[in-house]
Amino acid sequence: MSKNLSELSGRKGLKYNLFDELGKLAIEDGTPNKDALAKAADEFLIGKANTYGTASFYDFMRPENKGKKAYVCNGSACLCAGTQDGVRTELEKHYKADEIGDMCCLGRCHENGAFHIDGKNYSAKTAAEIAQIATNGKQNGVQGNQDKYAIECYGTQVLTAPFPGVDAYYELLLSMIERGQDACLEDIKKSNIRGRGGAGFPMWIKLDGCRKQDADQKFIVCNADEGDPGAYTDRYLLEEQPHSVLFGMMMAGFITGADYGAVYIRAEYPEAIEITENAIKDLYAKGWLGENIKGTGFNYNFKVIKAQGAYICGEETALLNSIEGQRPEVRVRPPYPVVNGLFNKPTIVNNVETLAAVHYILEKGGDNYASIGGGKSTGTKLLSLDSHFNKPGMYEVDMGTPLKEVVYNIAGGFKKPVKAVHIGGPLGGLVPTHKIEDLTIDFESFAQEGFLLGHASMLCVPEEFPMVKYLEHLFEFTSHESCGKCFPCRLGAKRGSEMFHKAQNEDYKIDRELLNDLIHTMETGSLCALGGGVPLPIRNGLMYFEDELKEYLS
Amino acid sequence: MKKVAYINNRPFAIEEGETILQFVRRYHGKNAVPTLCDAPNLDPFGSCRVCSVDVALEQGGKTKTQASCHTPVQEGSYIYPESQNIQKLRKNIIELVLTDHPLDCLTCEVNGNCELQDVAARVGIRDVRYPDGENHLDRKKDLSHPYMTSDLSKCINCYRCVRACDEVQGQFVLSMAGRGFDSKIIKGMDETFFESDCVSCGACAQACPTSAISDIFQSKAVKATEKTRTVCTYCGVGCNLEVSTANGEILSIQAPYDAEVNEGHTCLKGRYAFGFYNHEDRIKTPLIKRNGKFEPATWDEAYDLIVSKFKSILETDGPDAIAGISSARCTNEENYLMQKFIRAVVGTNNIDGCARVCHSPTALGMQRTFGTGAATNSIEDLKHTNCILVIGANPTSGHPVTGARLKQFAMKDGNISIVIDPRRTELAKYATYHIPLRPGTNVAVMNMMLYYIISEGYVAEEFVKNRTEGYEEFEKQVLATDINGMAKIAGVDKNLVREAALAYARAERAMSFHGLGVTEHSQGTFAVIQIADLAMITGNIGRKGVGVNPLRGQNNVQGMADMGVQPHQGAGYLDVTNPDVNGLYNNFYGRKVPSHIGYKIPEMFDAAIEGKLKALWIMAEDVVQTDPNTHKVRKAMDSLELLVVQELFMSPTAEMADVILPGASFLEKSGTFTNGERRVQRVNQVVAPLPGTKPDGQIVVDVMNRMGYPQPDYDPAVVLDEISQIVPFFKGIKWAELGKNGKQWPVKEDGTDTKILHGEEFKRGKGRFVFNEFAETTEIVDHGREFPFILTTNRELEHYNCGTMTRRTNNVKILTEDTVMVNPADAALKGVKDGDSICLISPRGKVDLKARLTDEVRQGVLSTTFHFPEIMVNELTGDVHDSEAKCPEYKVVAIDFRKSKGLVGRKVGEMVEVN
Ligand SMILES: Cc1cc2nc3c(=O)[nH]c(=O)nc-3n(C[C@H](O)[C@H](O)[C@H](O)COP(=O)(O)O)c2cc1C
Ligand code: SF4
Ligand code: SF4
Ligand code: SF4
Ligand code: SF4
Ligand code: FES
Repeated sequence: MSKNLSELSGRKGLKYNLFDELGKLAIEDGTPNKDALAKAADEFLIGKANTYGTASFYDFMRPENKGKKAYVCNGSACLCAGTQDGVRTELEKHYKADEIGDMCCLGRCHENGAFHIDGKNYSAKTAAEIAQIATNGKQNGVQGNQDKYAIECYGTQVLTAPFPGVDAYYELLLSMIERGQDACLEDIKKSNIRGRGGAGFPMWIKLDGCRKQDADQKFIVCNADEGDPGAYTDRYLLEEQPHSVLFGMMMAGFITGADYGAVYIRAEYPEAIEITENAIKDLYAKGWLGENIKGTGFNYNFKVIKAQGAYICGEETALLNSIEGQRPEVRVRPPYPVVNGLFNKPTIVNNVETLAAVHYILEKGGDNYASIGGGKSTGTKLLSLDSHFNKPGMYEVDMGTPLKEVVYNIAGGFKKPVKAVHIGGPLGGLVPTHKIEDLTIDFESFAQEGFLLGHASMLCVPEEFPMVKYLEHLFEFTSHESCGKCFPCRLGAKRGSEMFHKAQNEDYKIDRELLNDLIHTMETGSLCALGGGVPLPIRNGLMYFEDELKEYLS
Repeated sequence: MKKVAYINNRPFAIEEGETILQFVRRYHGKNAVPTLCDAPNLDPFGSCRVCSVDVALEQGGKTKTQASCHTPVQEGSYIYPESQNIQKLRKNIIELVLTDHPLDCLTCEVNGNCELQDVAARVGIRDVRYPDGENHLDRKKDLSHPYMTSDLSKCINCYRCVRACDEVQGQFVLSMAGRGFDSKIIKGMDETFFESDCVSCGACAQACPTSAISDIFQSKAVKATEKTRTVCTYCGVGCNLEVSTANGEILSIQAPYDAEVNEGHTCLKGRYAFGFYNHEDRIKTPLIKRNGKFEPATWDEAYDLIVSKFKSILETDGPDAIAGISSARCTNEENYLMQKFIRAVVGTNNIDGCARVCHSPTALGMQRTFGTGAATNSIEDLKHTNCILVIGANPTSGHPVTGARLKQFAMKDGNISIVIDPRRTELAKYATYHIPLRPGTNVAVMNMMLYYIISEGYVAEEFVKNRTEGYEEFEKQVLATDINGMAKIAGVDKNLVREAALAYARAERAMSFHGLGVTEHSQGTFAVIQIADLAMITGNIGRKGVGVNPLRGQNNVQGMADMGVQPHQGAGYLDVTNPDVNGLYNNFYGRKVPSHIGYKIPEMFDAAIEGKLKALWIMAEDVVQTDPNTHKVRKAMDSLELLVVQELFMSPTAEMADVILPGASFLEKSGTFTNGERRVQRVNQVVAPLPGTKPDGQIVVDVMNRMGYPQPDYDPAVVLDEISQIVPFFKGIKWAELGKNGKQWPVKEDGTDTKILHGEEFKRGKGRFVFNEFAETTEIVDHGREFPFILTTNRELEHYNCGTMTRRTNNVKILTEDTVMVNPADAALKGVKDGDSICLISPRGKVDLKARLTDEVRQGVLSTTFHFPEIMVNELTGDVHDSEAKCPEYKVVAIDFRKSKGLVGRKVGEMVEVN
């Protein structure tokens, strides 16, 4: 969180982007070599410690990543599905053990067995499939790169609507520019849409705040670092509906006076990166981007930024640091990004799904959108369901839809016995199956019951999967992904995972009071919602699975 | 009504924009809220979380825990800084910290002065309940560096060091590597301190709350019994230092946070280069040269010899056969006494100081334009300016603490920074505009700037009309400038100059800074006048954040000149030839003072060679080594009947002396220094003078008394009192009232000081515009064909001028030799590779130096330092001086170079004379 580094990186900005350059330096060996890092440091005037420090943060740039050729997904869904040991064993027949690394959640939670070779994702079930991919990995079109899941809408079709073609879709931009910024903002305000990235913050407040800033440059950033294991909503949108996201960003730019959009997409979604880049190229080709678009006087440009493997980059201020090529450590607030964001300029950060709703809102009107769902939760929500459901896939439902409807009717119930559904990512609530009927898909109901809607991914913990192991996994995930900036999370997550590990493997029982103290410390003391958020599912686990856990506790 | 917030349900007024931490501490003191990652000179960071407090929107309402250091206090909020919940939280955080921290406080260097220890005690931690887990206690110590040390097993990951290196020094040496639990502090790319680009400013060590980063002096250990605040002696920034001592010995130096000049920062010279003070090489007894050899003598013997010689010369040759050279290293009081001795006791105006070789053109040029030769504004004004123009200065090396601030300024978007310098200096790398002109062409480039400002209509007309004179004629002459011709001569892109000029003119507030790259030229005074013209023509005078701000080289050049150490002006810059002034001085000193101008330093040398000058008394200056044209200086010294030198260490000049008097260092005496922003600050004696040595002021007093002039023993309070009666702008300065941060002159009788000069009108009434045309230096005109390259000089951070002091500290381990920078293209032309020894040939001599290939210098230009006398670069330099102030032209020497032909019979750096 260095002001100076933001400024210095900002001198070259997005066009010649430091983080992008560092990423390129890692392509060949899996980690940039020191000479190249020193050169980049000189070029950007930021000192070698900073380029090195940055590179060493990311899973796919740090020195340990050197020589890695294949990656096995170690996300919660694949873990619970129990497919990954097999995948690794099979891959080890084709790669040396130290050529195989980990990736956390490739967004194939609906079929599992996920791994990554040479810039492409696969999910394979049989050894033969894996062998085929490993030997032919470099060729395109290998079976398994394509995945399949249900995409269905059970209410208003906002996010899953068919795409009518570029010109037809972007017509709306021209009429909106004619209507003016105030009117557009008014519609967003009326729609009452809240951020879909987890925090549920009203979209219009950010837009309004950013608009009021007096600055020579502003940015719109799309947060497509969907790191929650179990979530593949953003992946779906970028791959299948990229224009809804790009359009939303352009409108946010129009409303706030920003002329640059950055789409920050996680490296674990190589296909999404490619598709989004192609969509942008298409827009340039058709005259929908650049200077003075279609004679309106509106300018807009895009840059796709490929992330490098760090869950914390989904946190918006870490994400901004990441784009700047700084270590993605969480910033303090204030100043808020709308005042002091990317390169210290006013910046909007919105989730993919939030932005994707903008076209509908502006086309149909804010009131129309607000009439779907109700209260604080208007509009529709995409739900991503993992492979434990009978019909895994992507479902669009109106806000307010009962959860049991989703689980038992839409998704056809579970394939095998499940004891809890982890909803909203690792920081979301751990919902025991018996609580399913008390919940409806909206922010309020989840909050009331002591859970969190979050990004609304649904990941099942099967009956046979030990809860103690799942909680250990959550602590370990947090420890691995902690940016390390604040004391409670950096140290607490590690100690938490150690205690749970010890309790399963040694003659050790976790001191309840100590565990409660730890959870309290992380929850109230952490700087961001990673350290502050993981206590929620831990508490849920302790509360609803006391019977199973008590043998590990003193 | 003032807005309020509540602390434990009691209302207190809040201030706009303050954080909860600032608010609570303002009323309840520093201990009201513990912190670990917060530091007085760093931005809030929010990593440790022990500053957390509970906040409710209504009394007893639902509370939320917030980190107080980065949360603004909200009107009407209820803050509970010590609730049960908070107490528990803090204790639990510290418990976590201690799971990865050695529990061996008793043997730790900072035991008793450790912030972690303090906070742990405050929150009442008793034991660590977590089972043994992974930790980082086996990290190795880094003792690679002459000053900086680290023991990262003690690190608590608070990032204070990283932020200090970034936000204060701007060096970016430190960062974290890895992430989460395994993240760790790195220097450079995970190297040692020594291998890294660390400039040893010590900011990180001072910032570190534990002993994880420290220094060899263990500056955070508490064994000091006493702390003394004084002022650094190494440059004109004038940093305040807090010196820790025990049993009369100096342990370490820290930078006080409440120092207005340096705000908790110093450079390595101020913080670490004090080891010279009791170095075994110190001269500890007067020495008299007999038969070419120095023999120890008593003070009485030495004084007797000096006094009898002075007396006999006075009798036979008159007072003008005696001269004095005073020192910018010495205090105001000592300088005052020295010039008083020469003027009132000897009876001549032959007094000059080393400023002659650096900033005399500044004083003269600014006096001619404004009426006062001093910086118009304060360094603090950097907080208010929009634009900086830095000419012929490399402040990150020469004036490191100001340099660090300038760099911080230059890094921020929206700020405009313009650097005019042949070299791509550290600051130039960060600047908005860098104009890499050929050395010696400042006047050409600045005339171009003036041209563009005038011709494109950016003149501040009101200001020019109301506050200045001579503009019309000036404008005509400027507009007649041959832009293309000047651009060619200076080798610059005229569009770049235009853009920079207009940026300077358009800025709401623009400050200029200049250094020796402006003054040490044949047209030095003219260039200073132009800098002043640029300020006037754009109305950048007399407000906050504007002005003309020379970067004074030595710590007290300003004060030395103020005290009258120059042949044409007495104490307070009064004209010695003016009959009224003469009367005033006669009266004040009680002796007849001459009214004809005395010798400037170069004239002293000429006079000595001609036999007109017989005796010279040099106080703490090494003219042989630092003045140009060493041959001539040596010859002059040889011609004298009596050369008295006051010194700390044997120097090339001292070696030529007849009598050497052992002076005392700044750590051993009291007095005042005046920094580059006219700030008169107290130098407080830290330790007693080394046995056998005396404060230089006392030595002068002793000789005065023996020459029959009654002068009380050296006591700064008393001398200052005398000064305040004769130097008009010192009127209200009293030793007892200078306080911690000193006062900026002029100081009125009632004690109020002055931050900004020329507010309503100039010292001389109206500011005077005078045009000066560019003229090529004779050095190039006469020798440019045969010697087609230009050698210029620069300084390195680690050393101070010729390094008599810094070379007796660990600084030598950091920078071990002078090198010469060569552009790779030029080097290729001559078949020279990086690290090769090359031979520099000037019309006067040649010298071998190690080449460093870098594009920091442009083609056609070589640049070298002058810290190591062995190299004697001054053997090469010429005899050209500034036409007005007689400052020597160090910055332009016509040379040629080639790869050394093997060093048969001589060492690198050894000098060989030609003709
Ligand atoms: C640890 C952590 C991870 C996060 N990951 C994501 C993410 O992957 N995608 C996302 O949109 N928001 C994520 N967020 C939330 C963002 O900080 C931010 O609130 C969001 O991008 C704002 O967009 P919205 O208002 O459209 O929801 C994360 C937050 C935290 C604390
Ligand atoms: S809670 Fe964890 S991830 Fe968030 S700032 Fe603290 S250390 Fe970083
Ligand atoms: S001593 Fe100064 S330059 Fe060196 S690492 Fe510390 S802060 Fe940075
Ligand atoms: S070295 Fe010191 S200042 Fe730096 S992070 Fe560690 S404890 Fe903090
Ligand atoms: S900047 Fe100058 S005054 Fe300050 S510590 Fe360094 S040498 Fe001393
Ligand atoms: S002082 Fe506030 S978090 Fe460290």
